Amino acid sequence: MSTRYFGARVTRNEDPALLTGRGLFVDDVRLPGMVHGAVLRSPHAHARLRRVDARRARTAPGVLAVFTHADLGTLGDPLPKLIPHPALTHQKTQHALAPDTVRYVGEPVAFVVAESRYAAEDACDLIEVDYTPLPAAATLEAAAAAGAPRVHDDMDSNICAHYTQRVGDVDAAFAQAAHRFRERFVIDRGASCPMETRGVVASWDARTRRLDIWDSTQAPIPIRNGLAQMLGLAEQDVRVVAPDVGGGFGPKIMMFYPEEILVPFAAMRLGRAVKWIEDRREHLVATNQEREQIHDAEIAVDSDGGILGVRTIFLYDAGAYIPYGLIVPIVASTTLPGPYRVPNYHCEFRAVFTNKTMVSPYRGAGRPHGVFVMERLLDRVARELRVDRAEVRRRNFIQPDEFPYDVGLIYQDNAPLRYDSGNYPACFDRALELIDYSGWDARQSTARAAGRLLGCGVACYVEGTGIGPYEGARITVEPSGRVFVATGVGTQGQGHLTTFAQIAADVLGVSPRDVTVRTGDTGLFGWGTGTFASRAATVAGNAVALAAKAVRDKARIVAASLLEAPPEEIELSNGNAFVRGVASRSVTLGALARAANPLRFAMPKEWEGPGLEAVRYFAPSQGAFSNGVHACVVEVDAETGGLTIERYVVVHDCGRVINPLILEGQIQGGVAQGLGGAFWEKLAYDDQAQPLSTTFMDYLLPTAAEMPPLAIAHLETPSPLNPLGVKGAGEAGVIPVAAVVVQAVEDALAPFGIHITEAPLSPSRLRQLIVEGRRSP
Amino acid sequence: MKLEGTNTLAAPIETVWKMINDPDALRRCTPGLKELKEIEPDHYEATLNVGIAAVKGTYKGTLTISDKRAPSHYMLVLEGSGGTGFMKGVGLVDLEPQGEGTLLKWTGDMQIGGLIAGVGQRMLGGVGKMLIGQFFKCLEQHLGEDV
Repeated sequence: MSTRYFGARVTRNEDPALLTGRGLFVDDVRLPGMVHGAVLRSPHAHARLRRVDARRARTAPGVLAVFTHADLGTLGDPLPKLIPHPALTHQKTQHALAPDTVRYVGEPVAFVVAESRYAAEDACDLIEVDYTPLPAAATLEAAAAAGAPRVHDDMDSNICAHYTQRVGDVDAAFAQAAHRFRERFVIDRGASCPMETRGVVASWDARTRRLDIWDSTQAPIPIRNGLAQMLGLAEQDVRVVAPDVGGGFGPKIMMFYPEEILVPFAAMRLGRAVKWIEDRREHLVATNQEREQIHDAEIAVDSDGGILGVRTIFLYDAGAYIPYGLIVPIVASTTLPGPYRVPNYHCEFRAVFTNKTMVSPYRGAGRPHGVFVMERLLDRVARELRVDRAEVRRRNFIQPDEFPYDVGLIYQDNAPLRYDSGNYPACFDRALELIDYSGWDARQSTARAAGRLLGCGVACYVEGTGIGPYEGARITVEPSGRVFVATGVGTQGQGHLTTFAQIAADVLGVSPRDVTVRTGDTGLFGWGTGTFASRAATVAGNAVALAAKAVRDKARIVAASLLEAPPEEIELSNGNAFVRGVASRSVTLGALARAANPLRFAMPKEWEGPGLEAVRYFAPSQGAFSNGVHACVVEVDAETGGLTIERYVVVHDCGRVINPLILEGQIQGGVAQGLGGAFWEKLAYDDQAQPLSTTFMDYLLPTAAEMPPLAIAHLETPSPLNPLGVKGAGEAGVIPVAAVVVQAVEDALAPFGIHITEAPLSPSRLRQLIVEGRRSP
Repeated sequence: MKLEGTNTLAAPIETVWKMINDPDALRRCTPGLKELKEIEPDHYEATLNVGIAAVKGTYKGTLTISDKRAPSHYMLVLEGSGGTGFMKGVGLVDLEPQGEGTLLKWTGDMQIGGLIAGVGQRMLGGVGKMLIGQFFKCLEQHLGEDV
């Protein structure tokens, strides 16, 4: 196949509509007679619900209905367990509305539907709820301890899972090691904060008995399937559309959020279209969060800094319920070894319920934790052994001739963790070059002499991407000659309408501008699992390529009969099919599509049906593993704790690059989120698990002003696991950012002898560390 | 959120004691108190209208006085909840004669939850101190009238 568009910096097909305000987000859906929902949420982190009295609210002006748990019937049962795991012994799941106990601030207690959102919110204030407050399991470590307040009182403790994986003989490796270093690492909570918060609109047609739903979700098809089952409807009678979605970042793959049940339920009950849009304050308590883990980690090395063994025993904060299972801690454990040879490895975690918002993957999904632990351990080795930190890493890299490399663990997709391809030393050298590492010591000394605290950091990672089970695509050539691609993988800003179009365009000999990609509409494509784990380009992208090839083959067969030439001699280019070497003997793709759908006369048997259309699926046997290196230079203001990131470098290898422009955008956005998680963003809670950062006044997102200049370079080591040779890149930007920033800050503050084992930092925390560093000799 | 402070009042301890147990004085001087209904001695139903940071809300709840050791000590518990969350304040008051007047020492522990906690927690220390300050200032101003 020609590769004219694959690899090119094609500007995005989706941008003209988005940039001129013609996108369709859930809040843009306005239906006749539509009414509005508001959720009454618990102000307590843990309390018994003694009475919910909605009588006054029900008679308030404009109110159509107030629903409490008692109104929900079987929809009030615990919501589905999504991803079970043998080690997950207590998979407690959330309810659409709390039956008798609330377990985090923000847990839904009642749902009000009124003529306006204004009236609905006012009516929430009229609902009288008697709470008996209970002690809260507020912090991860305290919640894991014996005697802690129990989040679920039918359990003996808050531990819902305990899981260990081992490679080699860790105890023997530690016993024989020349050096052993032990650390405790603490990573705190953050929120994903997409520009578009969650939202749901539902409309029920009592005559056709069809339910239409617009949902700002990453998983429209599983939502459709689950809702059909819970509501007793045929899957074909439920249509879920995830239209333009303004950012997902992981939490929108979670289901079912209570509102995803409440809105359709209310629409069916009332016979009116119902809309609920999450406001920003709700988002910071009602949408899943991530990142809180405490690792007790240890590394054993030989006298040259060669890794002999690593051990981490960690706590994972699950929040109040764990519908999504153990994906995050499993990803954290399996990402930790990264690009290094770790012959003996022990990872063990306990998942712990706390009285906080639920936890499920947020961009990175455990990868940042694994990388933070490993890179901080290697920094410790470098410092203790007085070896340059770059050299310590270089000595331990898996080499390019060692692929496929079996790490010896089971990955999140339940398949062996086997790296497919990569060139880790080359990536590393390129990053060092771009950050001018060889001139670093001299530059730092000069700066220090001038009273400036400059630091440099460099960190590596391997990113599991492109896991199964499958995705599919249907490609149709319209009679106009336009190519129509439908896939079940939704898009939340990743540029799928362009990258998938590029893939199809090359195969079918058209421009990406002539390819319309539609995603996230179960009415158009009903098979798929969702957009997560950096898998859309790899899994759906290859399905698109396979479907396009099938359509090309069909086009050749149809063209062969029209052009009186054998199919092997038909080529597709510039929207035409022509006989190779005879450009004048050609027919447009549109004419072929029309010819392939005749109104009368017998259809040739070899056409195998009408039209230029094909459906194909791609089901990888395992994930594809991208890798990368980040490096940065920072300056710390010792008086204020302020941090300036002077320069930031990303060298990344995700196999063959479909569109460098889109890839760079992905990485840039990831770095911004990573920097937030490294220095600014922290979800604070008080000792009763009251969230204290529920506005952007307290939850600080990095802005354009904090973003450093970025230098991004790509290496391309194709994946042998799929026809396109691609790997995922969705989480690349965010993964090692905390590790690299903390290392750089520590480097800058070396004169104070400060040792940092936590993320995120903040100006005040940094200032505190500096003051403590000054005090200690 | 723990707070504490002292006030010196220009009246003998017995007068001050009487006053801090007087429903009328409590009604007049508790900031934001809209309604105080005596259910039984030392037990009231209260409606408060308080603003913390940008969040103004109405809280319905109870005010209870207990652990009384006349004329020098009691505990006051104020609990309320409303659309903007809930609050619970526990105050310990100790009186000591000081010359002609009385030294009033207080410690308070305040908890808030829901919207007011998310938005107002950082302001709580300042707001709490201000409200308690207003309370005692008001008592002081009305000392003469009530004696």
